[in-house]
Amino acid sequence: MRLGRVVAYLLIGLGAVVMMLPFYWMVITAVSPAPDIIAFPPKWIPSHLTLDHFREAAAKAPWLLYYKNSLVVATASVGLSVLFGLFAGYAFAVYKFPLQNFSFLLILGTLMVPVQVTSVSLYVFLAKFNWVDTYAGILAPNFASAFGVFLIRQAIKNIPMDLIDAARIDGAGEVRIVTTVVAPLIKATLATVAMLLFLSSWNDFLWPVIVINSQRLRTLPVGIALFKDPYGNINYGPLMAGTVITVGPMLLAYAFSQRFMIRGIATTGFR
Amino acid sequence: MLRAFAGRIHRRHYLHAYLFIAPVIVLFGLFRVWPSLQTLYYSFFKVELLKGRLTYLGLQNFAALAHDEIFRAATLHTLIYAAAIVPIAAALGMILAVLFNERFPLTELFKAIYFAPMVTSTVAAAVVWWWLYNPQYGLFNVILKLMHLPGQPWLLSSRMALPSVILFSVWKTLGYNLVIYLAGLQAIPREYDEAATIDGAGSLQRFRRITLPLLAPTTTFVFIYNSIFAFQVFDQVYVLTGGGPARATNVVVLELYKQAFQAFQFGYASAEAMVLFVFILGVTVLQYVYSRRFEVVY
Repeated sequence: MRLGRVVAYLLIGLGAVVMMLPFYWMVITAVSPAPDIIAFPPKWIPSHLTLDHFREAAAKAPWLLYYKNSLVVATASVGLSVLFGLFAGYAFAVYKFPLQNFSFLLILGTLMVPVQVTSVSLYVFLAKFNWVDTYAGILAPNFASAFGVFLIRQAIKNIPMDLIDAARIDGAGEVRIVTTVVAPLIKATLATVAMLLFLSSWNDFLWPVIVINSQRLRTLPVGIALFKDPYGNINYGPLMAGTVITVGPMLLAYAFSQRFMIRGIATTGFR
Repeated sequence: MLRAFAGRIHRRHYLHAYLFIAPVIVLFGLFRVWPSLQTLYYSFFKVELLKGRLTYLGLQNFAALAHDEIFRAATLHTLIYAAAIVPIAAALGMILAVLFNERFPLTELFKAIYFAPMVTSTVAAAVVWWWLYNPQYGLFNVILKLMHLPGQPWLLSSRMALPSVILFSVWKTLGYNLVIYLAGLQAIPREYDEAATIDGAGSLQRFRRITLPLLAPTTTFVFIYNSIFAFQVFDQVYVLTGGGPARATNVVVLELYKQAFQAFQFGYASAEAMVLFVFILGVTVLQYVYSRRFEVVY
């Protein structure tokens, strides 16, 4: 039993080293002087640290612009989805109205048809009113979130109706009840929904790469994908500097909130 | 009097209800539901976007698909990809979860490390792996060389490219399965294990007779959920191989992306999207059937 535990621990540790290796090598390549990168045997620790690759990466692509675009898109998507999701979730949880089940199933049904399936006709549709290559175009499929509506509705169903009725007797209007009574009570759910939507928008690639044509609108994933020259470029230092720039902030945020992020992703099944 | 009052409240709430769901319904109607229906519609047409012309083809797009060697190969690669990554990542995730279930120091840290690729942009991570897979200077071949093993061509060989993409995806999704299986394990009452230990069951026997069957609902979820995602694979293929070499890693979504946005065959691409949808629908129906069969009551 004791031996079994030691073996289990060793296996987990070894696996963790393998899992970390790509991250480690990404960082090492980004900060090593050029000869170190192609040295054999490999230089696990750089002979000295250099920022040359970051300088070169910065000269070749407008990373700050990519950050701005990713932030604008993610913030707008999260803000609107949470706002619309809060009110729709409240309506589905608290009211009884004709076509309630139909509209709820319609919303959930969209989960079965991912953007991978609809991208072609969505593009044709958006082209008709010149939304291709605009922020609105990038946001179009993510103005609202079916997952968000579902999770928020579940959370509101757990609030005792008495609380809402009491607020009504006190004369609060329905909009006020949603924003000042219900929202604070489900802020844990709202935070989880916001985190999940931010993450999926931040890392989204297929739809942005379809709808974005010009460099000025590129988000980070589109930027890094096009930064990589597919044909025999062995200038890996700047490329890895670019990936560090791309994934650094998200990994840092993860390092500080990993429990919250893992729990959010695992308990909702969203990814 | 009271009735009238109640009725008024109710009617007022209809108005609120419809106002509150209106934004979601309108936005989803426009940007999700309508394009879904359009995809089905376009799959029967030749769509010329610039000329704004639709030509009815009936089932010709689908008939052409059935004979399209490139699309058939892409479908096959997608199925191979799914058939490989789903069980491999599930088995590794389950084994890891069982190991993790013993209490260790630093469990949270290790869990966070295994999960880290999940929160990383697939595109950026694939760019890193593209460098690791470099046949000359990439870390994988360097390590093989350190162990005096022959270097591999990885992404450059049509035989090894798809397995290399699969290996990347296992690394990317393993942490997710680990966390899901850990949650599944924690739902199993400890008494079962203890009782079996008292009866003299070894740890392997306990795993086979107790843990594995009681994890069946979790396994069903992991298989279904990962299959749906596997059918949609795109990002890593786009970055690692672009579908090559010699289309050895071309997958359905990449193929429909090329048909639509490089060849501008929007109708044909819509037909391909419908095939993808049928795959996803099939798995969803399976889920519906199996989630009932494997329900566990403690």
